[in-house]
Amino acid sequence: MKAFQQNLKTLEAADTQVLGVSMDSAFANKAFADQIGVTFPLLSDWGGKVTREYGIYKDEYQAPRRVNFLIGKDGKIMEEQVDKDAIDPKKIVDACARPKLKN
Amino acid sequence: MQKKYSGILVTALLLAMTAAGYAQATKEGSVMPKVGDTAPDFTLKYFDGNNLKDVKLSDYRGKSNVVVAFYIFAFTGG
Repeated sequence: MKAFQQNLKTLEAADTQVLGVSMDSAFANKAFADQIGVTFPLLSDWGGKVTREYGIYKDEYQAPRRVNFLIGKDGKIMEEQVDKDAIDPKKIVDACARPKLKN
Repeated sequence: MQKKYSGILVTALLLAMTAAGYAQATKEGSVMPKVGDTAPDFTLKYFDGNNLKDVKLSDYRGKSNVVVAFYIFAFTGG
Protein backbone atom coordinates (compact mmCIF):
# COMPACT_ATOMS: atom_id res chain seq x y z
CA MET A 1 0.00 0.00 0.00
CA LYS A 2 2.94 2.30 0.69
CA ALA A 3 4.15 1.80 -2.87
CA PHE A 4 0.83 3.05 -4.21
CA GLN A 5 0.96 6.00 -1.83
CA GLN A 6 4.43 6.91 -3.16
CA ASN A 7 3.03 6.91 -6.69
CA LEU A 8 -0.31 8.52 -5.86
CA LYS A 9 0.39 11.78 -7.70
CA THR A 10 1.22 9.94 -10.93
CA LEU A 11 -1.90 7.81 -10.58
CA GLU A 12 -4.17 10.73 -9.77
CA ALA A 13 -2.77 12.73 -12.67
CA ALA A 14 -3.99 9.88 -14.89
CA ASP A 15 -7.53 10.02 -13.41
CA THR A 16 -6.92 6.90 -11.36
CA GLN A 17 -8.51 6.25 -7.97
CA VAL A 18 -6.65 3.81 -5.73
CA LEU A 19 -8.64 1.50 -3.42
CA GLY A 20 -7.01 -1.02 -1.09
CA VAL A 21 -9.07 -4.04 -0.05
CA SER A 22 -8.53 -6.58 2.72
CA MET A 23 -10.65 -8.76 4.97
CA ASP A 24 -9.75 -6.71 8.04
CA SER A 25 -12.44 -4.58 9.68
CA ALA A 26 -12.99 -1.05 8.36
CA PHE A 27 -11.66 0.28 11.68
CA ALA A 28 -8.47 -1.80 11.62
CA ASN A 29 -7.87 -0.65 8.06
CA LYS A 30 -8.26 2.99 9.05
CA ALA A 31 -5.71 2.52 11.85
CA PHE A 32 -3.39 0.75 9.38
CA ALA A 33 -3.78 3.57 6.84
CA ASP A 34 -2.95 6.18 9.48
CA GLN A 35 0.06 4.21 10.70
CA ILE A 36 1.66 3.90 7.26
CA GLY A 37 0.50 7.28 5.93
CA VAL A 38 -1.93 6.02 3.29
CA THR A 39 -4.48 8.67 2.25
CA PHE A 40 -6.60 6.61 -0.16
CA PRO A 41 -9.43 4.39 1.17
CA LEU A 42 -8.63 0.93 2.53
CA LEU A 43 -11.89 -1.00 2.19
CA SER A 44 -13.12 -3.80 4.39
CA ASP A 45 -14.24 -7.05 2.79
CA TRP A 46 -15.33 -8.43 6.17
CA GLY A 47 -16.38 -12.04 5.61
CA GLY A 48 -14.55 -12.22 2.29
CA LYS A 49 -17.51 -12.18 -0.12
CA VAL A 50 -15.78 -9.95 -2.68
CA THR A 51 -12.43 -11.71 -2.23
CA ARG A 52 -14.14 -15.00 -3.15
CA GLU A 53 -16.04 -13.44 -6.06
CA TYR A 54 -12.69 -12.31 -7.44
CA GLY A 55 -11.35 -15.84 -7.03
CA ILE A 56 -8.39 -14.82 -4.90
CA TYR A 57 -9.29 -16.16 -1.45
CA LYS A 58 -6.43 -18.29 -0.18
CA ASP A 59 -7.24 -20.98 2.40
CA GLU A 60 -3.70 -21.00 3.70
CA TYR A 61 -3.95 -17.33 4.73
CA GLN A 62 -7.71 -17.34 5.36
CA ALA A 63 -7.37 -14.03 3.55
CA PRO A 64 -6.91 -12.66 0.03
CA ARG A 65 -3.82 -13.22 -2.08
CA ARG A 66 -1.94 -10.06 -2.93
CA VAL A 67 -3.41 -8.93 -6.26
CA ASN A 68 -3.57 -5.53 -8.00
CA PHE A 69 -6.11 -4.80 -10.71
CA LEU A 70 -6.08 -1.72 -12.93
CA ILE A 71 -9.63 -1.15 -14.11
CA GLY A 72 -10.41 1.28 -16.95
CA LYS A 73 -13.23 3.79 -17.10
CA ASP A 74 -15.24 1.22 -19.07
CA GLY A 75 -15.06 -1.16 -16.09
CA LYS A 76 -12.72 -3.59 -17.85
CA ILE A 77 -9.50 -4.91 -16.35
CA MET A 78 -6.44 -3.45 -18.08
CA GLU A 79 -3.58 -4.85 -15.99
CA GLU A 80 -3.14 -7.43 -13.25
CA GLN A 81 -0.37 -8.23 -10.81
CA VAL A 82 -0.45 -11.33 -8.62
CA ASP A 83 1.37 -12.43 -5.44
CA LYS A 84 5.08 -11.44 -5.43
CA ASP A 85 4.65 -9.48 -8.67
CA ALA A 86 2.05 -7.33 -6.90
CA ILE A 87 4.51 -5.99 -4.31
CA ASP A 88 5.95 -3.44 -6.76
CA PRO A 89 3.08 -1.76 -8.66
CA LYS A 90 5.42 -0.32 -11.33
CA LYS A 91 3.58 -2.06 -14.18
CA ILE A 92 0.33 -0.38 -13.17
CA VAL A 93 1.92 3.01 -12.51
CA ASP A 94 3.63 2.86 -15.93
CA ALA A 95 0.31 1.97 -17.59
CA CYS A 96 -1.24 5.02 -15.95
CA ALA A 97 1.58 7.22 -17.15
CA ARG A 98 0.78 6.26 -20.75
CA PRO A 99 -1.17 9.09 -22.40
CA LYS A 100 -3.98 6.91 -23.76
CA LEU A 101 -5.33 6.27 -20.28
CA LYS A 102 -6.28 9.90 -19.77
CA ASN A 103 -8.94 9.75 -22.46
CA MET B 1 -54.55 -33.42 -15.88
CA GLN B 2 -53.00 -30.67 -17.96
CA LYS B 3 -52.80 -28.47 -14.88
CA LYS B 4 -50.94 -31.15 -12.96
CA TYR B 5 -48.36 -31.54 -15.72
CA SER B 6 -47.79 -27.80 -16.01
CA GLY B 7 -47.15 -27.70 -12.26
CA ILE B 8 -44.49 -30.39 -12.61
CA LEU B 9 -43.00 -28.58 -15.58
CA VAL B 10 -42.75 -25.30 -13.65
CA THR B 11 -41.13 -27.07 -10.70
CA ALA B 12 -38.62 -28.80 -12.99
CA LEU B 13 -37.83 -25.51 -14.70
CA LEU B 14 -37.27 -23.75 -11.37
CA LEU B 15 -34.97 -26.54 -10.20
CA ALA B 16 -32.99 -26.36 -13.44
CA MET B 17 -32.64 -22.57 -13.14
CA THR B 18 -31.49 -22.83 -9.53
CA ALA B 19 -28.89 -25.44 -10.47
CA ALA B 20 -27.64 -23.30 -13.36
CA GLY B 21 -27.47 -20.26 -11.12
CA TYR B 22 -25.52 -22.17 -8.50
CA ALA B 23 -23.10 -23.54 -11.08
CA GLN B 24 -22.56 -20.03 -12.41
CA ALA B 25 -21.95 -18.60 -8.94
CA THR B 26 -19.49 -21.37 -8.08
CA LYS B 27 -17.64 -20.87 -11.34
CA GLU B 28 -17.39 -17.11 -10.87
CA GLY B 29 -16.34 -17.56 -7.27
CA SER B 30 -13.34 -19.67 -8.11
CA VAL B 31 -11.77 -18.00 -11.14
CA MET B 32 -9.83 -14.76 -11.07
CA PRO B 33 -11.02 -12.34 -13.78
CA LYS B 34 -8.57 -11.88 -16.65
CA VAL B 35 -7.32 -8.78 -18.44
CA GLY B 36 -10.15 -7.62 -20.72
CA ASP B 37 -12.88 -8.98 -18.43
CA THR B 38 -15.32 -6.62 -16.76
CA ALA B 39 -14.33 -6.33 -13.10
CA PRO B 40 -17.05 -7.75 -10.81
CA ASP B 41 -18.85 -4.88 -9.10
CA PHE B 42 -18.73 -4.53 -5.32
CA THR B 43 -19.83 -2.26 -2.52
CA LEU B 44 -17.50 -2.25 0.50
CA LYS B 45 -17.23 -0.30 3.75
CA TYR B 46 -14.62 2.33 4.40
CA PHE B 47 -14.09 4.16 7.70
CA ASP B 48 -12.90 7.73 7.11
CA GLY B 49 -12.25 8.47 10.79
CA ASN B 50 -15.76 9.74 11.49
CA ASN B 51 -18.23 7.71 9.45
CA LEU B 52 -18.57 4.35 7.79
CA LYS B 53 -19.05 4.92 4.08
CA ASP B 54 -20.00 2.65 1.20
CA VAL B 55 -17.62 2.60 -1.74
CA LYS B 56 -19.09 1.15 -4.93
CA LEU B 57 -16.78 0.19 -7.80
CA SER B 58 -19.32 0.97 -10.54
CA ASP B 59 -19.67 4.56 -9.24
CA TYR B 60 -16.32 5.24 -10.94
CA ARG B 61 -17.54 3.95 -14.31
CA GLY B 62 -17.01 6.57 -17.01
CA LYS B 63 -15.30 8.89 -14.50
CA SER B 64 -11.95 7.48 -13.51
CA ASN B 65 -9.76 4.42 -13.73
CA VAL B 66 -9.52 2.42 -10.53
CA VAL B 67 -6.70 0.45 -8.96
CA VAL B 68 -8.13 -2.26 -6.70
CA ALA B 69 -5.26 -3.56 -4.57
CA PHE B 70 -6.05 -6.62 -2.48
CA TYR B 71 -3.61 -7.15 0.37
CA ILE B 72 -3.36 -10.01 2.82
CA PHE B 73 -3.62 -8.37 6.25
CA ALA B 74 -3.42 -4.91 7.75
CA PHE B 75 -0.27 -4.19 9.79
CA THR B 76 1.87 -6.67 7.86
CA GLY B 77 4.23 -4.62 5.74
CA GLY B 78 2.49 -4.30 2.35
